[in-house]
Amino acid sequence: MDPARNTDVVVDLEVNGRSEVRTVPARTLLVHFLRENLGLTGTHVGCDTTQCGACTVELDGVAVKSCTVLAAQAAGSTVRTIEDASASTDGGLDRVQRAFWDEHGLQCGFCTPGMVLAVRQLLRDNPRPTDDEIRHGIDGNLCRCTGYQNIVAAARKAAEAGPTMAKAD
Amino acid sequence: MYPAEFAYERPSSLDGVFTALQQNPGDAKLLAGGQSLLPMMKLRLATPAMLVDLAGAAELRGQWRTDSGVRIGALTSYRELQRSPRTLSLLPGLADTLEVIADQQVRARGTVGGALAHGDPTADLPALMLALDAEVRIRSRGGERVVALGDFITGIFSTDLADDDVLTAVDVPLPPPSTGAAYEKFEQPASHLALCGVAAALAIEGGTIQHARVAMTGVSATPRRLTTVEDALLGAAADPSSLDEIAALAPHGVEPLNDLHAPAEYRSHLLEIATRRALHRAAARAGMRWTE
Ligand SMILES: Cc1cc2nc3c(=O)[nH]c(=O)nc-3n(C[C@H](O)[C@H](O)[C@H](O)COP(=O)(O)OP(=O)(O)OC[C@H]3O[C@@H](n4cnc5c(N)ncnc54)[C@H](O)[C@@H]3O)c2cc1C
Ligand code: FES
Ligand code: FES
Repeated sequence: MDPARNTDVVVDLEVNGRSEVRTVPARTLLVHFLRENLGLTGTHVGCDTTQCGACTVELDGVAVKSCTVLAAQAAGSTVRTIEDASASTDGGLDRVQRAFWDEHGLQCGFCTPGMVLAVRQLLRDNPRPTDDEIRHGIDGNLCRCTGYQNIVAAARKAAEAGPTMAKAD
Repeated sequence: MYPAEFAYERPSSLDGVFTALQQNPGDAKLLAGGQSLLPMMKLRLATPAMLVDLAGAAELRGQWRTDSGVRIGALTSYRELQRSPRTLSLLPGLADTLEVIADQQVRARGTVGGALAHGDPTADLPALMLALDAEVRIRSRGGERVVALGDFITGIFSTDLADDDVLTAVDVPLPPPSTGAAYEKFEQPASHLALCGVAAALAIEGGTIQHARVAMTGVSATPRRLTTVEDALLGAAADPSSLDEIAALAPHGVEPLNDLHAPAEYRSHLLEIATRRALHRAAARAGMRWTE
């Protein structure tokens, strides 16, 4: 490759309500930008092949897999991570997190940040999902511990608890 | 996993995209939703020296009603289509197909243009688009051309696109009135990609099939129409037993892939089953009445 070519990019975006600007290599994935450049380690890397959903974040209000988005693609956008999921609850848990707690929807917790954001997306799109729709909705998220049963129960409970705090896209 | 180093540009118009491509002849690649390209770059199966992000080219966004049907801009995501009731109501089978592509996060990023331009032999959307007689619109600096999707797909991961071509939109004509369509898929459970997918579109009048399009994906080197099945359907009685008989023709003349995901015989078997289910569902939606 041409050695004179600039492989750095300026990434200017809003993360959890704060403006952030960093110059990073263009190949930086959004998940690494969040974890390594901003120190937001709540977003996990499980598979790195777009299959597990542990890296799920909200990009302009929609759940995406941040291991398969370049930080450069997110420039100019708004990102929300699990660290901010409960922002509107004044230090508590949002209703999806609360439902995971109540229904024992996690064991090791590795998949949980991604699961919570995937369930929030599911409920924004479909506030009263059937169990089949819940299972289909979390198709892009893998859990190696729970067997999914309690995650589905948590999603059902969160749906019964009423509208999600996050605004729809 | 990191991709190899590359330079990145996001031009703010389609003209800017052409300029960026012209300045980097041969070593630039277009980036749309990145849901196929970025995984390949992370595995170093692709190592472009430059990515030209299409996201700033507003010309590629939108859905329009045309004289003959619907035009869908290349940057339209699967998610946007799923939330476009008008397009879904005009194009039978589209809702079915979108529902079984990948997962909600991937559907939020993956685009119609990327799905067609990637030339993936297992992608779902091409099968439905073949069954709906879609054409792709391609722009280069020199001008625009329109290519039937069947001619556009030329092989495994290969299409009629040149390095400096941009797929701008897909044109889908409206099928005959009261056409019913359906998409049936058997997926690879880890990747969600199709081991076999079949799209069928049928119009029925007076108990006879008047219009038939059947196309498949995942089974052979490219998604393609099953013309033997289509020919047999045309003029046939629209009843369950004749649909079953005709579905059994589906594997004829198809050379199935034989790889770690499924042996060739299994894919052929799935092809018949998926064809049968797609024909039954399309016929039911086309208003065929029967008692089973
Ligand atoms: C976990 C996972 C599961 C998936 N499951 C499925 C599935 O079940 N079914 C399915 O069909 N697909 C599936 N896919 C693939 C997905 O549908 C891709 O998003 C889609 O095929 C590519 O669209 P994109 O916009 O992301 O393209 P990109 O990845 O950005 O680009 C793909 C290729 O097309 C080229 N390109 C893109 N846009 C244009 C354009 N406008 N003009 C010219 N060239 C262009 C790029 O240069 C690149 O070579 C899956 C992907 C993942 C990661
Ligand atoms: S780390 Fe992104 S999907 Fe697994
Ligand atoms: S709780 Fe351990 S992976 Fe889901």
